Amino acid sequence: MASPLPQVLLDGLFAGGTYALMAAGMALILGVVKVINLSHGAFFTLGAYVAYALAGRGVGTPLAAAPLAAVIGFAFGVFLGKSFVNPVRSHPFALPVGTLACALLFEQAAQMVWGPHPLSVAAGAPWIGPGGLVIRRWGVIAFLSSAALLGGLKWVLSSRPGLPLRLIAEDEEIAGSLGMDVEAIRYLTFGGACAMAAAAGALLSPSGAVTPTMGRAPLLLSLVVVIVAGMDSVAAIFLLSIGLGIFGNACAWFLSPQWSYVALLATVCLLLSARPAGIVALAGRRD
Amino acid sequence: MRDAAPSRAPKVSLRGGTPPARSPWRGGGWLAAGIGLLLLFPLSSPDAFFLDVFTTGFLLAAFAASWDVVGGVSGQITLGHALPFGAAAYSCALLTSFAGWPLPLAVAAAVLLAAVVGAGIGALSAPLAGPFVALLTLALGEIAHEVAVGHTFFSGPGGYAWGGEGGIPVALPWRDASPFSSYYAALVFLCLATFGMLLFARSNSGLILRAVAGSPITAQASGVPIARFKRLAFTVGSAFAGAAGAGFVLHVGRATATDLSLELSFQAATFAAVGGRGTIVGPAVAAIVLHVLFQGLSLPPSARVLLYALTLLVTLRFFPRGVAT
Repeated sequence: MASPLPQVLLDGLFAGGTYALMAAGMALILGVVKVINLSHGAFFTLGAYVAYALAGRGVGTPLAAAPLAAVIGFAFGVFLGKSFVNPVRSHPFALPVGTLACALLFEQAAQMVWGPHPLSVAAGAPWIGPGGLVIRRWGVIAFLSSAALLGGLKWVLSSRPGLPLRLIAEDEEIAGSLGMDVEAIRYLTFGGACAMAAAAGALLSPSGAVTPTMGRAPLLLSLVVVIVAGMDSVAAIFLLSIGLGIFGNACAWFLSPQWSYVALLATVCLLLSARPAGIVALAGRRD
Repeated sequence: MRDAAPSRAPKVSLRGGTPPARSPWRGGGWLAAGIGLLLLFPLSSPDAFFLDVFTTGFLLAAFAASWDVVGGVSGQITLGHALPFGAAAYSCALLTSFAGWPLPLAVAAAVLLAAVVGAGIGALSAPLAGPFVALLTLALGEIAHEVAVGHTFFSGPGGYAWGGEGGIPVALPWRDASPFSSYYAALVFLCLATFGMLLFARSNSGLILRAVAGSPITAQASGVPIARFKRLAFTVGSAFAGAAGAGFVLHVGRATATDLSLELSFQAATFAAVGGRGTIVGPAVAAIVLHVLFQGLSLPPSARVLLYALTLLVTLRFFPRGVAT
C-alpha cells in the first residue's frame, strides 16, 4: 500500500474545512454575544443526527440534510440565546456552567432517542484518484459547501448588512444608542452561529461514527481556533481549522481516534497556560 | 442564638472592621435536626437499596461541598473537579490490588495525591480569569477521563484485563460490608468532612478567598498574593474531593472511568448551584436531596443526568447570582 500520508492530508483537509464553519460560528458568538458557548458541540451533534435520520428515510445526501439541520439549529439556538444566554451573559458562573448543562442535556436526550451506540451515515461510493488516493464524495461536498458559506459570511460581515454585527462587537453601547436592537441581534447571531455548527455536523456526518458525545472534539477544536486566530479574520479561522483538522486526522490515523481528542484537549491546556489572558476581547470587556 | 457574638473574631477583617451581624453558625439547629433524622433513618429497617442510595448520596454530598470550597468560596469555577475524585479512586484501587498496600496507607496516599493534583490544577489555572478556569479544568478532567477509558492492561491474580470501561477493583480487607455500617461510616465521614471544610471556609484563609472571589483586583491591591491563595483553594478542595473519592471507591469496590467523567464534575456544580454557592452546607444538602430523589425514582442514568441539567438550567436562569445571595 502506498504511503498513507496523502490520504491523511486529504481527509484532514476536508474535515478541517468543514470544522471551520463551526469555528466561525463560535467566533461570531464570541465577538457579538461575548460569551463562550460550551453547547456549540451539541449543535454539531444535532446536525449529524438530523443527517442520520434523513438518511434512514432515503435522503442520503448531506446537501439536503445541512439546510434542514441549519434551520433546526437556528430555532434551538435562538431559543437558547433569547431565553438563557442573554439574561445570564454577565454572570461568570451561570454562563459556562449553563451552556455546558445544555450540551449534556442534549447528549443525554440524544442517547435516550438514538441510543449510545455509534451510528453511521452511508455516503455513497468514493472516487479513486491517482495513486489509489480515495477521494470521498461527502468530503468534497462538505469542503466546498463550507468554503462557500464562509465566503458568504465574510462578504456579509464586510458589507452593509453586517455592519450592526461589527458595531456591536466593537461597542454595543453606541450600537444601542443608534437605535439597534442589541438584544435581538445578539440572540439572532447566537441562533445563526448554532445553525452553522449544525450544518457542519450534517455535512461531516458520513465521516465517522455518529454518537451522542461526538460534538466534544469539534467544540475543543473551535475553542483552539478562536483562542489562536481570534475573531476578526474568517480566512485565519479557515486556515487554522484546516491545520487542526489535518493534525487531528493524523493523530487519529497514526495513534488512535481517541488520541486526536486528547491532543486537542492538551492543546487547549497548553494554549491557556501560554496565553493566560485568553481571548482578549472577552477578558477585557466583561461587565 | 442569632444574636450571639461570633465565637472567634477573625484576626484580619476584610469586611471593613464591622463584626459580622449574624452568627456564622446560624441554621445549625436545622442541620442538627437533619443529622438526627439521618441517624435514625436506618433504625426504621428500610430496604437495603435505600440505605445504599443514601450512602452514595453522603459521599456525593462531601464531593459537592468540596467543589464549593473551590467554586463557591473561592469563585474558581472548576468543571474538572472529578479529576481529584477519580485520581484518589484510581490510586486507591491500584495501590491496594496492584501494589498490595494496606488499605489505610493506600487511602492516605490517595488523599495526598488528590491534594497534589489539586495544587497542580491550581498552579495552572491561577493566572487565568473567569471562564478560562472553567475551560482549563474541563480539558484537564477530560484528558484524565480519556486516559482512564483507553488504558487497559493485563494484570492481577488470574490475568484479568484491568482498566478501560470496566475499571479496576479495590482489594478490600472485608467481604460484603453490611449496608448499615457503610451508611453510618459515610454519614460520619460527611459530617467530619463538612465540618472541616466549614472551618476552612470560615478561617482567615477562607475570608481572603472570598475576597479573591469577589474582586481579584481589589484583593491584589490589598496585598493578597492571589495566585498562592487560588492554589490553596484548589489544594484543599481537591484533598476533600479525594477523600470523597476514596470513600466512594471503598463503598462501590471498583474505580471506573465514570469517577473521572465530565458528568460527575458537572453534577458537583449542579449541587452547588442549587444548594447555594459558597455556603458549603447548602451544596451538601442539595446533593443528598437531589440524589435520593432522582435515584429513588429509579430512572435510567441518562434520564437522571437530563434532570440534573434541567434543574441546573432553571436555577441558573432564575438565580444567576446564586441561590444564597
